[in-house]
Amino acid sequence: MRSRTYKENYRQLLALTDSVPVVVWSVVLVAVLALAPLLIGKYFTTLVLLMMITAVGVLGLNLLTGNAGLISLGHSGFLAVGAYAAGIVAGKLGWPMPLALLAGGVTAALAGLVVGIPSLRLKGLYLAITTMAFAVIINHLILNGGKLTGGSEGLSVPQPALFGVPLATEGGFYYVVLAVLVLAVFVTLNLLRSRVGRALMAIREHDIAARAMGVDLVRWKLLAFMVSAFYTGIAGGLLAYYTRYLNVDSFSLLISIEALSMLIVGGLGSVAGALMGTVFIFALNEGLSLLFGALGSGLQSSAAFEIKGIVYGLAIVLFLRFEPDGLVGRWRDLKHYWTHWPFRF
Amino acid sequence: MDFFLQLLVSGIAAGLVYGFIGMGFAMIYRATGVVNFAQGELMMLVAYIAFTLAATFKLGFWPLLFATVVVSVLIGLVIEVLLIRPMLGQPVFATVMVTIGLAVIIRSVVVLLWGADPMPLATGLSRDPIRFGPAGVYPAQLYALGIMAAVVAGLWAFFRYSRVGIAMRATANLQTVALLMGIDVKRIFALSWALSAMLAAIAGVLVGVIYDLEPGMWLVGLRSFPAVILGGLDSVFGAALGGVLIGVVENMSEGYIGRGMKEIAGFVLILVVLMVRPYGLFGRPDIERV
Repeated sequence: MRSRTYKENYRQLLALTDSVPVVVWSVVLVAVLALAPLLIGKYFTTLVLLMMITAVGVLGLNLLTGNAGLISLGHSGFLAVGAYAAGIVAGKLGWPMPLALLAGGVTAALAGLVVGIPSLRLKGLYLAITTMAFAVIINHLILNGGKLTGGSEGLSVPQPALFGVPLATEGGFYYVVLAVLVLAVFVTLNLLRSRVGRALMAIREHDIAARAMGVDLVRWKLLAFMVSAFYTGIAGGLLAYYTRYLNVDSFSLLISIEALSMLIVGGLGSVAGALMGTVFIFALNEGLSLLFGALGSGLQSSAAFEIKGIVYGLAIVLFLRFEPDGLVGRWRDLKHYWTHWPFRF
Repeated sequence: MDFFLQLLVSGIAAGLVYGFIGMGFAMIYRATGVVNFAQGELMMLVAYIAFTLAATFKLGFWPLLFATVVVSVLIGLVIEVLLIRPMLGQPVFATVMVTIGLAVIIRSVVVLLWGADPMPLATGLSRDPIRFGPAGVYPAQLYALGIMAAVVAGLWAFFRYSRVGIAMRATANLQTVALLMGIDVKRIFALSWALSAMLAAIAGVLVGVIYDLEPGMWLVGLRSFPAVILGGLDSVFGAALGGVLIGVVENMSEGYIGRGMKEIAGFVLILVVLMVRPYGLFGRPDIERV
């Protein structure tokens, strides 16, 4: 058994991982995702598509809440800002999709800056409630945005197109989303192992101590807010192109809570955890739907909806109670157990 | 001037409910450092239970309030023992997420058991407004004012004179020292939840009587956050005052600025206040050691 890692040149130091299985399985995962639309039906393809869009946003939230320790209940607001910004520049100004997505991300990042400034003085739950206040205000602004946002009537978004070629939702657009997700994962992994990531972690552990060690709190906290909001804004833009119709009601506070629960189920502060949590919550929702579908008409649909809510809440509570490190912690334990058996350590 | 008075009176009346819920938030926060995001949902659950109690036993307002408070305190204790106590030693954020999970569960349970249609909470209290010059208030809102005065006075005396109240203050002040002085901190936590549930019960019955019971009631809990933040998360009386202030500000902005402002006025206000005073008006700043 290899007992230590030896780095012999700069390339090895710069490599994202030194483990061959990790590389192989990652490639396999991306390949499976790329082939998925051909293998599974339309329904599951859109499900995976939605899951990937969500994962981009959850990665953003993870950066802020998991890595920098700044709890945000306002990411539904960033999502809405990104979606509407992308929708408006695409629908009213006719910008092409890549630019519109970028516009969504940048607008959300600016909103993140606005929220980030009060956050410099606030801590913990005061901050969480302030971000929530932001989300409530954003929804109000969108609702009263007149012709710009369409108000309560909503806003329609043109079909996604790349270089003038229109993309089908389950076809070309799926690959755009996949590419964005892969890019987001790479950027996050690289961000986390650099100076930025270490600064964020120092802030999470104790911000005053971090400041004493020379971490510029203003700079890094604002950066964390902006980058996190950027990711979520991009996710919002993708969501806008996916649904092709935006309405404020789909950006309720529940979205923020759902994203947080994905993070917790997966494991706070870890990229793999964010992805696993997203998949788990989607699978849970879908599994419950299938279950109630199989049980047939015995249950009214509204009752089924409420029971889903209960199971969903229970899942959050039980995970926090019995698996505070999330799925990624369980996975780590399992690997540990596998390599070290019969020893416990 | 008439318009102003009208807005002021109805603002205070609406703010009292925020005050009760906000006090519930503060009660738990000052003892345990956790914000109970399920406070609004607890209020809703208890209000629906009050509906069933009222329909089954044909209770008047005061007996109903008393019975509901008893049931609610039991629910609060059960939540504390089953869900919150096992989370001791975990980060605060984890416990907060547990209360968010609980909130999701309660919302679904309420719709599942009682349905989604709005229902009036019948207690035999008249719904005709009483006029005071230009302003009119419901009888229930006058009751709310009286109950608020009684609760604030009672809690003040409780914290000031009773042994348990002083122990609660000591725990809020410094948990370790409280433990060393022989205070059963676990019991104090449970008591905080019980008191908070009592406040939720009062709020629930009042909301049910003044407005109607409907599954969106928990939003009142959400809109009470500004109240408690304004007062400072760890100040129970600050939350009561904050609630009334937020109620008035909401009504004034709706009346003078425009429709829909009610929904966000409180949130805008706390954003401004927190920029100046990061711990609210009456909150105590945390002194951290590195």
